[in-house]
Amino acid sequence: MTATSAFFDRLAAACQDPRFSKVCGSVRFDIGDGDDLEQWLLVIDHGHMKVTRSAAPADTVIRVSVPVADAMARGEVNGLAAITRGEILVDGDLGLALRLGRLFPRASGSGDQTEQPTSSSTP
Amino acid sequence: MRDIPGTVSCIDGNTFIVSDASGDVESSPATPVGLFAADTRFLSRWVLTVNGERMAALSVDDSQYYEVTFFVAPGGAVDYVEADVSGIRRRRIGPDLTESLTIFNYGQGVVDLDVRLEVAADFADIFEIKFDIHDKVGTSYTQIDGNELRLGYRRGTYRREVVVSASERATIDPGGLRFAVRLPPGQQWTTQLQAAMRALRPDGVDLRDALRAQRPEDSTLPDSVREWVAQAPTLDTESAALQQVYHRSLVDLAALRFAPLSLGGATVPAAGLPWFMTLFGRDSLLTCLQTLPVTPSLAPPTLRILASLQGARTDDVLEEDPGRILHELRYGESAAFEEQPHSPYYGTVDASPLFVVLLDEYERWSGDTALVMELEQEARSALTWIDSYADLTSTGYVWYQKRNGATGLDNQCWKDSWDSISYADGRLPGFPRATCETQGYAYDAKIRGARLARTFWGDPDYADRLEREAAALYERFNRDFWLDDRGYYALALDHDGTPVDSLSSNIGHLLWSGIVPPERAARVVEHLMGPALFSGWGVRTFAEGQGRYNPLGYHNGTVWPFDNSFIAWGLRRYGFATEAGRIAEGILSAATYFQGRLPEAFGGFDRSTTRYPVRYPTAGSPQAWSSGAPMLLLRTMLGIDPHEDHLAVNPALPSAFARVALLDIPGRWGRVDAFARQRPDRPASTGGIA
Repeated sequence: MTATSAFFDRLAAACQDPRFSKVCGSVRFDIGDGDDLEQWLLVIDHGHMKVTRSAAPADTVIRVSVPVADAMARGEVNGLAAITRGEILVDGDLGLALRLGRLFPRASGSGDQTEQPTSSSTP
Repeated sequence: MRDIPGTVSCIDGNTFIVSDASGDVESSPATPVGLFAADTRFLSRWVLTVNGERMAALSVDDSQYYEVTFFVAPGGAVDYVEADVSGIRRRRIGPDLTESLTIFNYGQGVVDLDVRLEVAADFADIFEIKFDIHDKVGTSYTQIDGNELRLGYRRGTYRREVVVSASERATIDPGGLRFAVRLPPGQQWTTQLQAAMRALRPDGVDLRDALRAQRPEDSTLPDSVREWVAQAPTLDTESAALQQVYHRSLVDLAALRFAPLSLGGATVPAAGLPWFMTLFGRDSLLTCLQTLPVTPSLAPPTLRILASLQGARTDDVLEEDPGRILHELRYGESAAFEEQPHSPYYGTVDASPLFVVLLDEYERWSGDTALVMELEQEARSALTWIDSYADLTSTGYVWYQKRNGATGLDNQCWKDSWDSISYADGRLPGFPRATCETQGYAYDAKIRGARLARTFWGDPDYADRLEREAAALYERFNRDFWLDDRGYYALALDHDGTPVDSLSSNIGHLLWSGIVPPERAARVVEHLMGPALFSGWGVRTFAEGQGRYNPLGYHNGTVWPFDNSFIAWGLRRYGFATEAGRIAEGILSAATYFQGRLPEAFGGFDRSTTRYPVRYPTAGSPQAWSSGAPMLLLRTMLGIDPHEDHLAVNPALPSAFARVALLDIPGRWGRVDAFARQRPDRPASTGGIA
């Protein structure tokens, strides 16, 4: 299992995140391209999260390569910096993308480890 | 806009061009002149010559911040310009730069002119300019397509490009554009130049397209500025100087508005030209606090963007913690490649409490309970950050010690230069440090957070807890920071709890926050208004007689208008109206020496010695919280303060002003007027409310 699919599995299992209790919207992650395109749709409704493999339209579409997606899932990517340098392509509601960026772990620096979205997450 | 001596600026939020008085840009690596957007220099050379001669400036009209007109003639800086040929460069800044160039022939014969525009782009990041770094990692490219000169820079997936084009046929080479112009007598020639700035993704989409789409048409810009001024209260006073500073500040606040891409067009204040043309947590929050009576529309987008970028994780490079409000957000190459930590950087300890302070104060003015509900979670997180993440020594204070050893800030309070926090004898304390004014902000945030919790969030238990914590902080602070033998509060606590005993302007902010017991206030005020701190123009950042005092020390002796505006607010809170008036008079008088535009800081020299405020060499100008300072000083002179659904007015005018009225002050009451007038029979002023 890739870091990316493990990450989305964790989100799917978590079902909700109180930090997004006032957030409603949908974000689709388009990972890779061509025949290798892997699409995940995340729908948030007042903190309830639904994660599916879907190509349905979304408020925000985030396009990344497979290695960048894996790095994001491992917490190695600063989202805003990666958007600025053209590694993460965001179309649609950038504000929503930045908020949902908090779902991703962050492992840089020597500090303590990332907060997982909920206690039900699995390694 | 001519505050870096000899330069002229044209500003639109975080896009701006700084040139010389003839309109030319001739940058050296370390000077912040050129065309900038998103922390990147897109033009480092933009020089006009006619028949090989540089242009001399005859006059400049920069009455609109987004538009400048240069009247020029060929010839160097000589006594006499033989001006058969002359020119007008009319420049406008928006998402891109446009310049209309017109050449006139007022001579008697036909002239053949070689009109040349030299163009270069170094794509320097603002931090490369600040730190004088020359080597770029990526590669540059130049393309000539038809009537366009395309200069670009590429580093991996990062690509920035400027496309220079002209409406008239030009001969284009990699160094610029050339026009062969034949002008009969009495004729003129015009071309429209454009420099389009692009931040290109690998798929060719320009990140700045959204910015262009969000903006009103260029032609509506004058209306939008007029609207901005019309929305603000009208100042009615006999003082032409006060009128000038009010109008200038209002327009500068408009100039510094910028629309972050994630806000869908809503604008927030950029901190200041030229180094700080981006979002800063502290600067934007304090600017919004200063301007609530005048331009309250700045506050909701500022609170919203800071909320949306609030820290959520722990990161030692960004110095991010859950609940922490950001310090600085940048879009340049150094941020993009994480060579600087600004995407975003969280190294500030005051933005988090000030976030709560602004949210509460904004509600008191606006009655916007919806925003208080919308941002409840973020406000609670910011309050939690104070106790859970900032109390590094478990002593009940907000401390700082940088975790990003390479590029983090040593001092994470408003005085954020490396040597700003020192003992009276000049020694630097160790880390962590807890500065006094930050404790005041934390106290105020808890008091205000309690009001929000009780009144709007339906959580009286949380309100009680915050009030208990505030009371305990008040006790503790007044025990540990108070220097009884000196009669003032220590600037900071050293890592081991030793008070850092220097006398500084920071103690004035404590009055604003209300953490000073009334019986101690008079002693604090005596110091603030005494000769060691008060220069005659304002309160110095650092008192004369301290080891590191220097009237031109950035945080060690200069006078900061913003600092003074909050001190004046604090003085009024404790009933020292005359002293607040002295500060208001001093700062507002200083503004007249800067054509109504208060710079970031000016020299701390004594007013009676220099008779004019001495320019601080690299002071930013315009600077958002300096433009906000006159607004807060007006508030303090009028003594306006919201009480439920009405605006209380309790004026106290310094004698320099005979009459000050602020008409149509917006708020939950609709619009009301506040008047202040000197009365010959009473030395103190009186006033009322319409």
